[in-house]
Amino acid sequence: MDRGASTLGPRAAGTQPRSRGWKAALPFVGPLLVLVVLGFNGPILLIVNYSFSAAGTYSFVNYQELAATPVFLRVIGNTFRITVLTTFVVAVLGYILAYWITSLSERTRNIVLALVVVTFWVSVLVRTYAWIVVLGNAGLVNRTLLWAGAIDAPIAFLYNDLGVIIGMANIQMPLLILPLYAAMIKVDQRHLQAAASLGASERTIFWRVFFPQTIPALASSVMLVVILCLGFYVTPAILGGGRVPMVANMLDTYINSIPRWELASAVSIVLLLFTLALFMIYRRLDKWASGEEA
Amino acid sequence: MERRTFNKLLLAGGALGPVVGFASAQSQVRELRINEGGGLNGDAIDAGYAKPFTEKTGIKVVRESPNNFGKLRALVESKSTTTTLFELGTASLAQAKALGLVEKIDWSKVDALPVYPEAKDDYGIGYQYYSTLMAWRTDAKAPKNWSDFFNAKDFPGKRSIPDDPVYALPMALLASGVSIEKLYPLDLDAAFKKLEEVKKDISVWWKAGAQPPQLLRDNEVQYAASYSGRVVGQPGISYTYNQANLNIGYLSIVKGSSQAQIDAAYKFMRELTDPKNQVVAADIVPYSGNSPDFEKLIDKASTSKFPTTADNKKVQYFNDYDWWTANADSVQKRWQQFALNR
Repeated sequence: MDRGASTLGPRAAGTQPRSRGWKAALPFVGPLLVLVVLGFNGPILLIVNYSFSAAGTYSFVNYQELAATPVFLRVIGNTFRITVLTTFVVAVLGYILAYWITSLSERTRNIVLALVVVTFWVSVLVRTYAWIVVLGNAGLVNRTLLWAGAIDAPIAFLYNDLGVIIGMANIQMPLLILPLYAAMIKVDQRHLQAAASLGASERTIFWRVFFPQTIPALASSVMLVVILCLGFYVTPAILGGGRVPMVANMLDTYINSIPRWELASAVSIVLLLFTLALFMIYRRLDKWASGEEA
Repeated sequence: MERRTFNKLLLAGGALGPVVGFASAQSQVRELRINEGGGLNGDAIDAGYAKPFTEKTGIKVVRESPNNFGKLRALVESKSTTTTLFELGTASLAQAKALGLVEKIDWSKVDALPVYPEAKDDYGIGYQYYSTLMAWRTDAKAPKNWSDFFNAKDFPGKRSIPDDPVYALPMALLASGVSIEKLYPLDLDAAFKKLEEVKKDISVWWKAGAQPPQLLRDNEVQYAASYSGRVVGQPGISYTYNQANLNIGYLSIVKGSSQAQIDAAYKFMRELTDPKNQVVAADIVPYSGNSPDFEKLIDKASTSKFPTTADNKKVQYFNDYDWWTANADSVQKRWQQFALNR
């Protein structure tokens, strides 16, 4: 039973499952299915195959080496830590921003949304380097603060965890805001009015009527951000200054420089399993939350 | 199922499928594909070597970049490489030999002009000499050696060095007083101890060659280890070749290339040995070619800029890549461990 799509929008009543029959859909879905199987699932199988290969035979040596070298798991752990922090920042700021957008007039709303979308037009690499101009030791912020006499020495915004989190949050933000905004705008205003007419305070209306209706969209956007953060490469490489080890950067070394694809594959599979586990927890929570709702 | 068969099935069904059986269909060589570092380096290859090569042979040169070592392995494993020449650093050439990824060169078939002996490797032609040297902002106090470079007390400021043990560990050992002659085999404990001492002054461990000049210009750091071609001739940045690491860019033939492709590659190699071509290439990016006559052809005022001129070559060192081939794996793990705590 798959009801994954339901998390993307509010669960409005009346969406009847249409069973037109998969045969009618096949000509339309077929090409995509082939592409996904050959272009995505096939290579993952190849990676699984690599992870169990050693000198022409199948074995567990790569996984044994991984288990015997604590640094691999520690880098994966560090990746999850940065991911959780980044996602938290994105979720809090993104939610506030999306909520604020819904309160604007139609005209202003479109302008603000355009400003959010416009960031997609600039490459990740450029946006990452731009932070150096803004937050570097000789950047705008530090120069202004020094000039104003607020600080004696430049603040180290970059080349640490903070820099990586700022850079990654900046890039992930629109991915959270857009679906969240779409869900917020669909919340039936009459629910809020009904709550108000029954004497609920603004705060109560938000937390007990509005917020619960946006949880599914928030949860699925957060999931998207988490999954993208886990594989981030460019931003940690540049804004981390080599001090924030992330798994994608470590894999780059083991794929491109060494190149020990078998070991890199084993690390990738372990990361994939961790991610799947996380996804299953999310599905559980989602089911639990929606069960409570109904 | 046998592993080999399973691999084949996966390959046939996977992303590599469409590539198989493409190159073998061509009988006459119309183009020579070279995988190289990209950027200015590629422009230098075009102007210096590809142009005269195409004029003489009619074979077009197609450049590809970047030259990730993993790509070479992928080309060889595809069993149908379309790329014939692949640029490798000294370290990756040693690795490629150990893994059997490159063809042996029949030097008797290459109409080569005189070159430095190390440029004529059995498995690659050294075509470009570059250094990893110390550079600093001209307004900072000038260091003379790696000890000064890492001495933040007398040379105040932030540092940036490569996030790569092949470069960083020798620097650390030289800084702790080991001489160039006694550098190898590397004393890993001493090298990591030195890095532990100085890591608080290193604000960026760089990954891309473009980073150090940018960090220096933005005053993000005052001292940086950099590839020579990135900083030589840049306003506001000073450098020295003293105790720098001299490195050679090689072009090697991808294992499994057809004989026709290999013959074309041999003709291209001839152009790589011509000092006149090297001067054209060096005009685009200040790295030297492999000819001992190169120094005579460049103008006197700029000889100090190039890594291989007599004065510069004698104060530098080559890495011992046999040592690195034997130890790369364990050093890399220790490096990743170190990276978690810096």
